[in-house]
Amino acid sequence: MTDSVPPPVNTGVAQAGVAAINPKAGAVEPAVRRVGDTGAHWRRRIAYALMIGYAVLMFIPFAWSLITSFKTQADSVNLTVIPQPITTYGWQYLLERLNPSLIRLFANSFGIALAITLSNLVLASLAGYAFARLRFPGREILFLVVLATLMIPDQLRLVPVYLIFDAVGLTRGPGQYLAVIIVMAVMGTNIFLMRQYFLSIPREIEEAARIDGAGFFTTFWRVMLPLATPALSAVAILQFQGAWNAFFWPLVLLTTREFVTIPIALTFFRTEFQTNWPPLMAMVVLATIPILVLYIFFQRYFVEGIAASGVKG
Amino acid sequence: MAIASARDPRASAGIGQRSEALAGYAFVAIPMVLFLILNIGSILYALYISVFQWNIRSGAGAFIGIQNYQNVFKDPIFIRAIQNSVYYAVVWVPLTMAVGLFLAVLVNQKLRGRTFFRAAFYFPAIASSAAVTVLWIFLAAPDGLFNGIRGALGLNPIFQLLGYGPNQNWIGDSHTALNSVILLNAWTTSGTFMLFYLASLQTIPGEVYEAAAIDGAGSWQMFWRITFPLLKPGHYFVATVAVIGALQLFDQARIAGGTTGDPANALMSVVLYLYNLAFFKFDFDRAAAVGLILFAIIFTITLIQRRLFGSAPAW
Repeated sequence: MTDSVPPPVNTGVAQAGVAAINPKAGAVEPAVRRVGDTGAHWRRRIAYALMIGYAVLMFIPFAWSLITSFKTQADSVNLTVIPQPITTYGWQYLLERLNPSLIRLFANSFGIALAITLSNLVLASLAGYAFARLRFPGREILFLVVLATLMIPDQLRLVPVYLIFDAVGLTRGPGQYLAVIIVMAVMGTNIFLMRQYFLSIPREIEEAARIDGAGFFTTFWRVMLPLATPALSAVAILQFQGAWNAFFWPLVLLTTREFVTIPIALTFFRTEFQTNWPPLMAMVVLATIPILVLYIFFQRYFVEGIAASGVKG
Repeated sequence: MAIASARDPRASAGIGQRSEALAGYAFVAIPMVLFLILNIGSILYALYISVFQWNIRSGAGAFIGIQNYQNVFKDPIFIRAIQNSVYYAVVWVPLTMAVGLFLAVLVNQKLRGRTFFRAAFYFPAIASSAAVTVLWIFLAAPDGLFNGIRGALGLNPIFQLLGYGPNQNWIGDSHTALNSVILLNAWTTSGTFMLFYLASLQTIPGEVYEAAAIDGAGSWQMFWRITFPLLKPGHYFVATVAVIGALQLFDQARIAGGTTGDPANALMSVVLYLYNLAFFKFDFDRAAAVGLILFAIIFTITLIQRRLFGSAPAW
């Protein structure tokens, strides 16, 4: 998590992002450094004051949700920082009175996010490798199709995708899970990211393997995939975050109440709980914690991945 | 083709080429089938649905041409949705770009702890939109933290002058609901734009600043005369991403405003309108038309911005 850690994803797209977090990569010093310049000192102090102020603005809402989750309903509208009394009412409410149960909601969210992450890893690395290295007629056109998917807004696909899933029976019963997983099974951005990474690996490495008689899949699986661990990690982390937070497709496709994920449950608890803020805020905390943990441990993947996601534009 | 392969020294390895091609097709097969059905196929299917009278049970009925498109534009709620989305874009995009650029310039300085600050500023962007919106609704409630803090700081007279009482219901009042969502999304997305701008700032060579410093330029001048104009590719990129994102406003509007964009359609966005048409009015043909209209608008804006700002940056 320090600046000196070498960038993990060194793709063409991500390079700008990599540069962004690497201070040695030509960071600009706008403040003119003159000897004995008190102006520079003041500028530094103002910069710190602004940064701390904005960081506090980022932090307060989340801190407030955590504090409120330990308050009583009556106390939840007070400005007191320390709950009076400190109670686990909100958390107990979540454990005992949710429909569907909290365990079920977490199982739904984790199961769906895990399935989407795994399928993206497998499909995007295979396709990314093929687009980077294998020669086959129509490759360029198929890659254009991948790029085109980045330009098509999900909203345009809403009605047709729903009708397609409806026609094959995936809008009823547990098939709904499958529908959400299929629609997010492979993202064009991930194929793009994997392709860029494979392009950056020297050809000689796999050619040596091919001379030894390895087939295409063996070369990919034994030689190339282990070399692509940094890119795979980035895809895994960003995709898990995206799937965990996903709102649009789960809202549309998970229509049976017991199948919903946490973000969707939050929308109807918001109406059902009305102003019963402590359990609602406990739910907000629970929805955020897995992402916070990922962020603390893998911060650089997020910060660098954002430039890669720039291809969406 | 045959001549080319005859000259190819690898021509004798024709079987190898064929197996390479087969491996290639096998590796891309599943994503391609999914994309062709759920992406490319979807557009064609949406076009087809939008020109028929579509029945939820029996599918395509009478062919009605562009009538769905005409009817959509006759619906005052759709017009309201367009107005809201445009207002949202016009206010939110410049606001969030300005904050993002400001943060980028701040954390681009050689200051201790800047890695922490970058991480802190970006965090709201990766949290779940549903969680953050519910949290925001709580903060902006009549007896919420925001009203409490401004009361405690003695700012209420200022708000009183603007016409807001001490217990203003920011998201429940149709006059302030959309602006509240704008602030919410500026808060979450400014960190993302900061990262985009940071990437763009790195492309400006340090020598430019050194030369300007020798000429005696102050840092304010340097920002407006050097940094800002040299960030042009960055502005283009962020603006495009921002406008496209703004027109797709949905999660926050759906959570704060329900399926009809309450209060009084103040939070009705184009996408919420589409969603409401499809899943609450079961008007699939018209919803498909709205999707295509939105796609056309987004596509046009991308082209216009490309004209105005030149081509996209290499990254």
